[in-house]
Parts: sequence; C-alpha cells; structure tokens
Amino acid sequence: MEGGLFMSFNLNVLVGNSSALVAGLLLTCLATLLALMVGIIGAVILQVLRSYPSLISRGLTEAYICFFRTTPEMVLIFWAYFCMPIALGWQVSGLAAGSVTLGLVAAAYLAEILRSGIESVPKGQIEAGQSLGLHKFPLWYRIILPQAVTVMVAPFINYLTELIKNTTLLAAIGVGELAFVAYNMGAQTFRYFEFITAIGIGYFALIFPISMLAHYLEQRKLRVVHA
Amino acid sequence: MDGFWTSLDFGVVWRFRYAFLNGLGITLFLSAVGLFGGVLLGGFIAIGTFAHSRWITVPLRGFVEFMRSTPLLMQAIWVQFALPALLGFSLIPIQSALLALTLNVGAYASEIIRAGIAGIGKGQLEAARALALPTPLVWTKVLLPQAFRIVLPPLTGMAISTIKASAILSILAINDLMRVATRINGFTFRPVELFTAAALIFFLVGLLVSQLGYWAERRWRVVSS
Repeated sequence: MEGGLFMSFNLNVLVGNSSALVAGLLLTCLATLLALMVGIIGAVILQVLRSYPSLISRGLTEAYICFFRTTPEMVLIFWAYFCMPIALGWQVSGLAAGSVTLGLVAAAYLAEILRSGIESVPKGQIEAGQSLGLHKFPLWYRIILPQAVTVMVAPFINYLTELIKNTTLLAAIGVGELAFVAYNMGAQTFRYFEFITAIGIGYFALIFPISMLAHYLEQRKLRVVHA
Repeated sequence: MDGFWTSLDFGVVWRFRYAFLNGLGITLFLSAVGLFGGVLLGGFIAIGTFAHSRWITVPLRGFVEFMRSTPLLMQAIWVQFALPALLGFSLIPIQSALLALTLNVGAYASEIIRAGIAGIGKGQLEAARALALPTPLVWTKVLLPQAFRIVLPPLTGMAISTIKASAILSILAINDLMRVATRINGFTFRPVELFTAAALIFFLVGLLVSQLGYWAERRWRVVSS
C-alpha cells in the first residue's frame, strides 16, 4: 500500500490546479495583511488608552486584551460573520469579517508586545531625556521608540507566523484561502493526500523562514545586550 | 439598531442548555486529552532532543519545527483525509481530532519543557552525576521536578491555547461547543444569542484555567534560599 501510494503520488493533479492554489495563497496573504493592519492600529490605540491615568480606560483595555486572548478565534470569526449582518443591517463578506476579527485578536497580542517593548526601556533614559528638556514627541521617537522597537521586533515577527496560521480559520466561513482551496480540490478529485500534503509543505516553506528570522533577531539582540 | 436589541431572545440558549452542556463536555474532553497527551509527548520529545545521537535529535527537531510552522486546521484535515491513503483505513473524526491536537500540542509543549530543562543550572546535573545517580533517577528526582516549576506558567498559557485550538477541530464535524452553536443556529437562526453564549462560555472556561494556573504557580513556588 505504502509503496503504491508513493508511486501513485500524482504531481499532475497539483500542477493542473496550481492556479487555484496560487489564488488561495494570495487570499491567505491578503487576509494576513488586512488583519495585520487592523492589529497594529488597534494595538497602538490600546496602548495609548492603557497609558491614560484614568482607571476606566485602563480597566477597559485590560478587559479587551484578556477577552480577545482567551476566547477562541473560531468563535469570534463565526460571531462576526453571522452576527454583524444582523447588528449592522448589511452583509459583510467572509474575508472582511474574518480578517477584521483576526485583526482585533492580533491587536490584543500586539498591545502586549508593545507594552513589553516600551517597559523594557530603562526609566533613566526617559528621565535623562526629560532633564535635557526634550518635548514629548522627540522623547518618544528619538529615545523610547528606537530602543523599544529592537525589543519588539522578534516577538512581532513570531506573532506574524501565528497570524498566517490563523488565516486558515477563514476557511470555516467559506473564504477561499489556501486551506479551503486545497480541501475543495481534494474533495473534487479524491486526491486529498496530494493537495493537503502540498499545502502543508507550502505553509512550512512560508512560515518556517519567518520564524527562523525571528529566532536570529532574538539571538542577535541577546548578543548585543551581553556584549 | 433599536430593533436589533429588542429582537434578542436569549431564551434560545436556555432551551438548548443540555446541548450546550454536551458540547462543553466534548470541548473539555478534547482539550484535556490533547493537553495531557501533548505534555506527555512533549516531555518525551524534550528529553529526546538532549540525546547525543543526531539520528534522534534531527528527526525530533524536524517534527517539532514542522508542527509549529503549519496551521492546526491543515494538520487536522491532513489526519482526517490524507492519512487514510497512507494507513489504508480511516479514523473516525474524534480520533483524527485527538491525534492532530496531541501532536500539535506535543510540539509546542516540547519547546516549553526543553526550555524548562535547559533552565536548570548545570551544577544540578553535575552534582547528580557526581553522586553517581543512575540516569533515570537524575531525570525523575533532579531535573524534572525542577523543570516542572519553571514550565508551570507557560503550560498554563498552553492549556488556554489548547482550549482555543479545540474549537478549530469542530471543522471535522465533532459536536464540541463551537459546532453545537453552529448546528442550533442552523434551524433557529439566532446567531447573536448562540455565538455570544458560546464565546462567553469559552471565555469563562479560559479565565478559570488561568486562575487555576496562578493558584498552582503560587502553590509550587520555588522557595529561593
């Protein structure tokens, strides 16, 4: 059986449907980018709200982050896809509902990364900047952010890999991203093995180099700190 | 908008409370088996990656990196639909789901446990060796108990991720909480009430698990001397 399977691994069925797979890959990338944009903007908003001295704004942002980090993305995506039309009164596409939902989840995770980066800047740096009479704006983009960003880059890239993996969930609401295309092609041709193995290798080829990059940056940062 | 709020009727959730409880039970079952099996598998992988032979470490690293770099949803449909071509027989959905979840959690857990073992001071291992402890005892009496305390906080996070991941497995037609909500919605058309309830239940379970994690952390806190 095994020998027979590898003999019968049908590359032609993949090559013949490669344009559909590429279209799926593009939709995966599009969903990732959309979610990333929503996530970054959301994270900055959350971080700004959290840094207000008001107890209410801090409590609300903490509650937001806790909720979106604890609740399964799957449920949130279904919620957005099925409930938004009722709540808003207009139809939303699966791609829009799913990507924005993943973006809202990403905002919660990225806000934590943002905070850890900002908190990693020693207090003395901020005080030194203030004592030199720097205004708030130059203090942020000359002193705090450059140092915070070096700390944030690796976890940010790591989260990007999570986000790419999460876009497969959009398949559940019928968005034709890579996993959805492969599953449907498999169902049409009864060649599940070829299609799902192929996208497995594809996801690995996409995500593994990104996580290697994050790993490399982390190692380099450690070296700089210890040097 | 006004019509939206007045149209809500959470009675539908109460009407199907037993179905919801059933779904929650299956979600908890999936998560518990996935977490337990995954941590066990992860422990073996972690210990294996400390082996001296490359014939052991390289395949283990490859497995871990592959599982971490591919989405669970894809792994689940691979086990359900592609694996039968290799095995010659099909698994039922719940078996596929448990297998995929265990392998996935195992890969992540192995990294956590590996870091935990590596986080123990080298002196501990050398002291155990100097006392001529046999290797199994070095693991069970010296390394693993200390590693356990180090890995407890990340394992709590792992437990919450496992519950979240179990919702993904509903795509294999397993009647977990997620799919129960979807199915009831299929004939009652009350998505707002049903999915809100499902989301809240998932959230509360996650909160409970993270509280348990904090409790366990305090309970087994390392007393620094």
